[in-house]
Amino acid sequence: MPRTDAFIVRSSDQVPKHPLLKRFPVPRNFGVTPGSRIERGRTWAAPAGAVRTKAFEIYRYDPDGDDNPRLDTFEVDLDACGPMVLDALIWIKNNVDPTLTFRRSCREGICGSCAMNIDGANWLACTRYIEETGTPAQIYPLANMRIIKDLVPDLTHVLAQYEMIEPWLQATTPAPDRERLQAPEDRAKLDGYYECILCFCCTSGCPSHWWNGDRFLGPAALLQAWRWLTDSRDEAAGERLDLLEDPFRLYRCHTILNCTRTCPKGLNPGKAIAQIKKMIVDRQS
Amino acid sequence: MRRFRIQTPLGRAVGLGSAKSGFGHWWTERITAAALVLPAIWFAASLIAHSGSDYDTFRRWLREPINTALMVLLLVTLFWHAALGLQVVIEDYVHSVAKIWALIVMRFACFALAAVGIIAALRIALGA
Repeated sequence: MPRTDAFIVRSSDQVPKHPLLKRFPVPRNFGVTPGSRIERGRTWAAPAGAVRTKAFEIYRYDPDGDDNPRLDTFEVDLDACGPMVLDALIWIKNNVDPTLTFRRSCREGICGSCAMNIDGANWLACTRYIEETGTPAQIYPLANMRIIKDLVPDLTHVLAQYEMIEPWLQATTPAPDRERLQAPEDRAKLDGYYECILCFCCTSGCPSHWWNGDRFLGPAALLQAWRWLTDSRDEAAGERLDLLEDPFRLYRCHTILNCTRTCPKGLNPGKAIAQIKKMIVDRQS
Repeated sequence: MRRFRIQTPLGRAVGLGSAKSGFGHWWTERITAAALVLPAIWFAASLIAHSGSDYDTFRRWLREPINTALMVLLLVTLFWHAALGLQVVIEDYVHSVAKIWALIVMRFACFALAAVGIIAALRIALGA
């Protein structure tokens, strides 16, 4: 898809006219407890004979030791690995440091496992080209999650929030003998929402979820909630809206739209949340 | 400060359940914002137009019924909107017992400022 300059970012395919800072300008480790301060780790040199190399700075944290998190630098041989950031990580794990830990599965942007913070933006490592990253490329785990190890965040809470919106079809009408019918126009209403792969790039990037993540559901869960609210086969819209209408669960969204900016699938969680708010207006007036 | 608690992830996510409200606050915040557009433009334009006027001219201007009415409307809408907006800011960032006190003090302040402004406008409009 061609990338166009845009002031209003409607999808993560667009590159903003005024690119944001890679890192918010606060001092490093500002307000961080001593045990969580990120220290400079070791540098792993490129293998002898490598022609084209690129440095990757990667966040490391080992839960088994008492050491602080650290930032290791890896010199990656670009001629020996594939074009994606995930390829570089796999190359490092296979050839340099087998203890480097990250989640990965499909390597084609459909499983959502390899979501991480690449050069300051949450994205899937398997769909981000190495050549799109700065030098050195900076790889951190998803923000605002407890870190289990290296690039593996603990998704327990955000998955529980997803479970809370009851992401399954609910109907009191007895199930028909065949599939539940749906008009093509009604099916089209799910487009842009059913594609969500639950990588939680959006929820991890949402400031409202940083400050109030215990109560605010976050963009991923709310986009999924809308996916069921707008499904013509579902009969539980009323209960779903009751569940969502809350000053924190839904209305803590202040349309910051980091979610839409960062979605590696090009979806628009901000629009989904706006649609939920609009549906509640329709119900009230 | 969070107490240590053994709780299932779902139990933690559900918390105290849905308040089943929040629409009124959100909707009123938007309506008051829209309602502020015209009075705010009127107010700014009037201040600029009267930047060279003396005190008596300005008082005479405020005594005109349309101006008094717009001034009172502006004050009501402004502090109503401010109270709703500041509530969101406090709920966003304050996570201690101070939250409830901050909310109460903020509400009192908004009501007090609105009352002072309205009484001042009415005194000029109706008083000696």
